Amino acid sequence: MTLAGPATPRASLTSRAFRAALRLLPSTFAPGDARELAHIYEALDAETRRTRGWPGAALTFARELPDLAHLVVREHAAAWRAERMRRRQLRRIASYQRPYSEDTSMIESLLQDVRYAARALRKNASFAAIAVATLALGIGANTAIFSVVNGVLLRPLAVRDPDRVVTVMSYSATVPPSVYGSSPANFMDLRSDTRAASQFAAFSTSPATVVGPGEPESFQAVTTVGDIFGVLGVRPLFGRTLTPNDDSPSAAAAVVLSHETWQRLYGEDRSVIGRTVTINRKPCVIVGVMPPGFRFDAAPADLWMPEQWSPEFTANRDQYYLQIVARLRPGVTVERFSAELETVATRLRTDHADFNTDLHLSATSLQETIVSAVRPRLLMLMGAVGFLLLITCVNLANLTLARASSRHGEFAVRRALGAARSRVVRQLLTESVLLATAGGIAGLAVGAVLLRAIIAAERTSLPRVDEISLDPMALGFTITVSLLAGMAVGLLPAMRASTARSMEVIRQGTRGSGAHQGARSALVVVELAVALMLLSGAGLLLRSFGRLLAVNTGFATERLLTMQMSVGGKSTQAVEQSLERIRAIPGVQAAAVTSQLPVTGRGGGAWLNIVDRPTPPNETPPAEAYRVVSPNYFATVGIQLVRGRFPTPDDRVDHGPAVVVNQALAKKYWPGEDPIGKQIMLGAPGNYLNPASPIVGVVGDTPDGGLDNPPIPTVFMPMRVAPWWPVFTYVIRTSGPPEAVTSAVRRELRAAFPTVAIRNVRTMESVLHDSVAPARLSMRLVGAFAIVALITAALGVFGVLSFVVAQRTRELGIRMALGAAPGDVRRMVIAYGGRLATAGLVIGLLGSFALTRLISKLLFGVAPTDPLTFASVSAILLGIGVLASWIPARRATRIDPIAALRSD
Amino acid sequence: MSEHRKPEAEAPLSAQVFQILLSLLDGDMHGYALIQDIRRRTDDEVVLTASTLYAAVKRMLGVGWIEEVQPEEPPAGHDERRRYYRMTAAGRAAARAEAQRLQRLTDMAREKRLLGPLGRSPQPKGSR
Repeated sequence: MTLAGPATPRASLTSRAFRAALRLLPSTFAPGDARELAHIYEALDAETRRTRGWPGAALTFARELPDLAHLVVREHAAAWRAERMRRRQLRRIASYQRPYSEDTSMIESLLQDVRYAARALRKNASFAAIAVATLALGIGANTAIFSVVNGVLLRPLAVRDPDRVVTVMSYSATVPPSVYGSSPANFMDLRSDTRAASQFAAFSTSPATVVGPGEPESFQAVTTVGDIFGVLGVRPLFGRTLTPNDDSPSAAAAVVLSHETWQRLYGEDRSVIGRTVTINRKPCVIVGVMPPGFRFDAAPADLWMPEQWSPEFTANRDQYYLQIVARLRPGVTVERFSAELETVATRLRTDHADFNTDLHLSATSLQETIVSAVRPRLLMLMGAVGFLLLITCVNLANLTLARASSRHGEFAVRRALGAARSRVVRQLLTESVLLATAGGIAGLAVGAVLLRAIIAAERTSLPRVDEISLDPMALGFTITVSLLAGMAVGLLPAMRASTARSMEVIRQGTRGSGAHQGARSALVVVELAVALMLLSGAGLLLRSFGRLLAVNTGFATERLLTMQMSVGGKSTQAVEQSLERIRAIPGVQAAAVTSQLPVTGRGGGAWLNIVDRPTPPNETPPAEAYRVVSPNYFATVGIQLVRGRFPTPDDRVDHGPAVVVNQALAKKYWPGEDPIGKQIMLGAPGNYLNPASPIVGVVGDTPDGGLDNPPIPTVFMPMRVAPWWPVFTYVIRTSGPPEAVTSAVRRELRAAFPTVAIRNVRTMESVLHDSVAPARLSMRLVGAFAIVALITAALGVFGVLSFVVAQRTRELGIRMALGAAPGDVRRMVIAYGGRLATAGLVIGLLGSFALTRLISKLLFGVAPTDPLTFASVSAILLGIGVLASWIPARRATRIDPIAALRSD
Repeated sequence: MSEHRKPEAEAPLSAQVFQILLSLLDGDMHGYALIQDIRRRTDDEVVLTASTLYAAVKRMLGVGWIEEVQPEEPPAGHDERRRYYRMTAAGRAAARAEAQRLQRLTDMAREKRLLGPLGRSPQPKGSR
């Protein structure tokens, strides 16, 4: 109803708009005043239109709007004040049910709806609390997980035009292809021979000891060739980045610091440019500092330095250690670049057959390289949290339905007193909106807390951790979905409820009609099915994690202290002496060094040449992993001897140093034979790492590629033979807790090597602990979701059954009056609950069988259709269903038949 | 009218209200005419929107400075939907009080040589 009356047929657009805006005024605004206002405006409008045309009219309209808004607000405030006075006077008389008047304006009735909705929810606070809590959980969990997925998988990397940056990989076409780094000469050829990329850079990582005022500190360095910062397209915070000029060996060694390193060493002093700092015993000049938040996830580093190859090293094709990144020219696709790379590879294979046999090159986008490892796990989490969202929506819908049906009486009264149907429906929808808003706000808090917990727990195992933040898009999406679900499902019963007018319905009062029971039961079955699917996922992950932990590590993991030192270049004797000093510490049972701890990866590799099986001329020898260890390494770590003997400190058999291999290697190359006595050499022809060395012993395997991977064939070489190895890890077996001897060991090591930094002081157990961190997190999260889902479903069952019992009180009362035993009644109710649970179980099992095969990549030692898991979760679900039916069942048996018959 | 200044007379009137009162001194007017008259008189310095006019009019009606009238003879193009306003005696007094307040302010400015004796700023020496 327009306050100002209809516009004249030829009224202009602006005056029509003005009249429409007048509808915002409260209903207490006198219609005559509104008409007057409209006419004054129209006169103004006509005048400006006449003198200045439609731009003038638009200007007049624009000027009018703020003042009109001001007026509207003032009028509403005045009306509200008057209304409040009136209501205060009528307080004792006014009832909760106030007849609706059709003359209320739009804003006013909306505000009224909100007020009533808030009051209705407050009256039924437990319902509101449950709804808001489940919504908050669902929204919060969803937002947190989506934020993680967005930050890690979806958001493009913080480099310029990230889809133009690729990594170049060298691999050999074995099955599966083995990927390795590039050699310097290959890189130089690549760089000069390809046209599709505009910039190339190579890098590798190494520890760097920085000598400052205090103790020497160890940092992670990335050494580069070419303009890596140009490839990434990032600029420094101040100073400059490395340029190809810095690659020349005659240039002063330059270094670029990361922001945190600069803060730590120089406390944000901007005058560091040009200062010298000693890194790895070489003086380097600081030339730049990177901005905070810059992180190159392919190789996280504290500082960047050029490799500075000598001309001889530039021609080296023997050492494969470089990683290569490139920036594609505009318009070039990754595939085209890969094709060009393969052509170069073919040429390299023919031109330098000795070194490049079976060399293949291809390119992958940088982002893909970084996230591909972690993608399956994150996607699974998204699926799980999607289920949780589904349960949240179903729950809200269920609760809305329950409310609607129990208020048929209330709506009938309202309708009888003249309320419009649309008004009643809008009332219910407003309640849903209010719930969703409250749930959203609470969900935001839950999500923030959950996200922080996830980031803290997964700092080391997730790439791009610094780029994860709470995603407003996810929050908005989740809230919208919950809202729509609640509204959509609440709409139908609301519309049905709003038609109820008969006295019959009014007399039924709060017991409500028996409507919607079918729909509610169906919703509960959906909740149960989803809960089962989450449970089976959680169950499988749980068993998988258990199997992971049960893997035989092949050595004794307890009471083993480890720490790394860059003692490369120190004499073997010096290292042995340091070991002696450590052994003298009380509490130390044994000490040794190794180039790589077990269960931490493949480590270095080299070509394996078996002396009595020379490689044919146009083939390359196989590449196998090797470790450099001190003589008593195996005894210290607890690796079992399978054949032969351990090497002794002065071992020399047939003029060659004694080496040891593990079972995996022995089985691979000497299946069914005895490898003892066979001679092997590691390395490239003409550049062997060791002279012909006899195998003196075979040791047990350790899962070096991770607990869920098969053991890697490995050769163990004595330290003596490879004094050039840069970094050693000390392993120390203690008699008591390893932490107790840490400071003593550090003291001895610092005394032995005062200029070398000690890093990565950890117990072996914590190393193992970290290696299974991703699996643990998935298990915990999905487990938590499953528990929430189960509780929600149980509450759903409880709710529906209570409802059913309340509905059928009369019927049950009659039955008991006619002689039914309480036990029969109880059984009836539980049977109904059991039917719901069974239906949910069947649907859930079907869904689980279909979906769990999607996560088979994440499972270890457990089939996706593992019968034990499925049987257990089915039993759990049925049990919960029966348990949730218990209380309503007992309530049913307590029905007083006489009272039930008498109630109306 | 007594010269005794009531406390509320000290509070300045808003520019819109004062202008409306000035316009009504010449006779009764309806809303749109007020807007046009004020624009003309202030040379477009004070431009009222319909809403502002309405709010001011309503306030003045509330304190009794103006009243609604039916015009004696309908002028040409008289629209019976239009409302005409006339200043009351109270309104006249309020307008006069405001004018006097403004005069007091200009007197102070004159004392401080901000304004010349006839309301013109004093010219610096050497200029015409």
